[in-house]
Amino acid sequence: MYEADRALIVRMRAGEQRAFDEFFNASAPRLLAYLARRSGMDSASIEDIVQNSLIKAIRNLDRYRGEAALFTWLTEICRHELADVSRKSARRPAHLSLEEPYADSYMEDHQLQASPAVEPLWQADAASQRGAVMTVLQRLPAHYAIALEAKYGDGMSVEDIARQLGLTRVAAQSLLARARAEFRERWLEFTR
Amino acid sequence: MTDHPDIEKVLKDALAVAPASERRLHEMRASVEREWRGSLAMPRRNPIRHRAARLGLAAAAAVAATAVALWVGHAPALRESLGSVSRYDGGGVTLRSGLFAERSLKNGDALRVGDRLITHGAALVALAQGGTLRLGPDSSLTVDSTSQLSLHQGLVYVEIPADAAQHLRVATIAGSVEHLGTEFEVFCADQAVRVRVREGRIRFLGNTDTVIANAGTELLVAPGKAIARRAIDTFGSEWLWTSELAPEYDIEGKTLIGFLNWVSRELGRPLDFADANARQIAGRTILHGSVHGQPPLRAMSNVLLTASLTYEIRGDTIWVRTSP
Repeated sequence: MYEADRALIVRMRAGEQRAFDEFFNASAPRLLAYLARRSGMDSASIEDIVQNSLIKAIRNLDRYRGEAALFTWLTEICRHELADVSRKSARRPAHLSLEEPYADSYMEDHQLQASPAVEPLWQADAASQRGAVMTVLQRLPAHYAIALEAKYGDGMSVEDIARQLGLTRVAAQSLLARARAEFRERWLEFTR
Repeated sequence: MTDHPDIEKVLKDALAVAPASERRLHEMRASVEREWRGSLAMPRRNPIRHRAARLGLAAAAAVAATAVALWVGHAPALRESLGSVSRYDGGGVTLRSGLFAERSLKNGDALRVGDRLITHGAALVALAQGGTLRLGPDSSLTVDSTSQLSLHQGLVYVEIPADAAQHLRVATIAGSVEHLGTEFEVFCADQAVRVRVREGRIRFLGNTDTVIANAGTELLVAPGKAIARRAIDTFGSEWLWTSELAPEYDIEGKTLIGFLNWVSRELGRPLDFADANARQIAGRTILHGSVHGQPPLRAMSNVLLTASLTYEIRGDTIWVRTSP
């Protein structure tokens, strides 16, 4: 379904520099923003998590099968990485080492499914405007939330959103319109 | 589409995030790219076998670690990294680390405290704290700490951003060089040491004297003699080896003017515009694509072609102009 993403990974695994550039440029800034919106962490910690997540993704490129958008796959790795950091920091001072054997099992068993155990992700202050918006987005169907965040958070074009979601441009536009309407309804409910 | 303008504003305001710094993204990119390059050389093993093999290896490693610990009295900790090899030419770099035999370094390999390096060809090292270390051929050095290396023989070039988290000192037989946010070269042969400052300032702590030198200065330190100083150019053929080892510049999404400033810094030549149109084009053009594998001058030539611009070098300056 996500042929373009799968092709990108194939090109990366073949050693094509341009493919790596596309991968990094499209994912790193978005992942940083993705985590910044959801966690109360400082920017340095977020950057470490994203860097570690991308390194783990690189080590596991052969496990990406194109069953979900590449960015969705990366966000799952980020979520697990964040959960891991939260767990470790609860036990001891946070000090992540890439030399440590990483959790292969989550790469194998949770490729595309978010685990309920990773909910420390939603650490944004619910009393803030961002926290409130994130709370409402969380209650929307996932593809609505993804589309709205991509459009209004990451500033992506409708064409890019369509590509990410495996839709035509018209279908993506229509999805965005439905997502906005749904968000509006729930937002008014939430802020009433 | 503005069917819900108020809602669009709510979403935009709440979801806006300050972008990460260019420098941090650059560092992150270097780390991830190193991993990627390393992964190309290492075929992925079967996960089940991989896990079983890992258990076996872990057991073997535990036995080996115990033996080593008993032998040397304590288990060694992972040593801190000064940086990692980004690129090297033909001859490569040999490393001797502690009790282990010599081995050849490859791209992505870390230089750790205590490592002793011998270069057979030139090499580029990305420093963990930002900046680069460029090594000339037939050089020999030791990583003393994450902020100091000892140059026993040969040629190194240090490029550290002014806002780097940590300084790097180069120790030689005749004294040590401390930078104050700069680019400089140190050459060491027999008992003599030559230091050339290309940008910023350095402090040379000699065995008897301490000297501050600004960009465009060469210091010559020979045994039994006072430190000699002379003015030098910060560009030209004597610096070409450093631009051949320039780190990759990712042009995708960057402004043309940003790219030109990078070339100017790499070549040690000021940049200027021969006409207002060229300056405007450089300011507003966003670049796409890649100049992978191209040294700065060739990369600039190719990029300018796509923007209907050209350049010429007059005196020390790179002049950019609109193509005729």
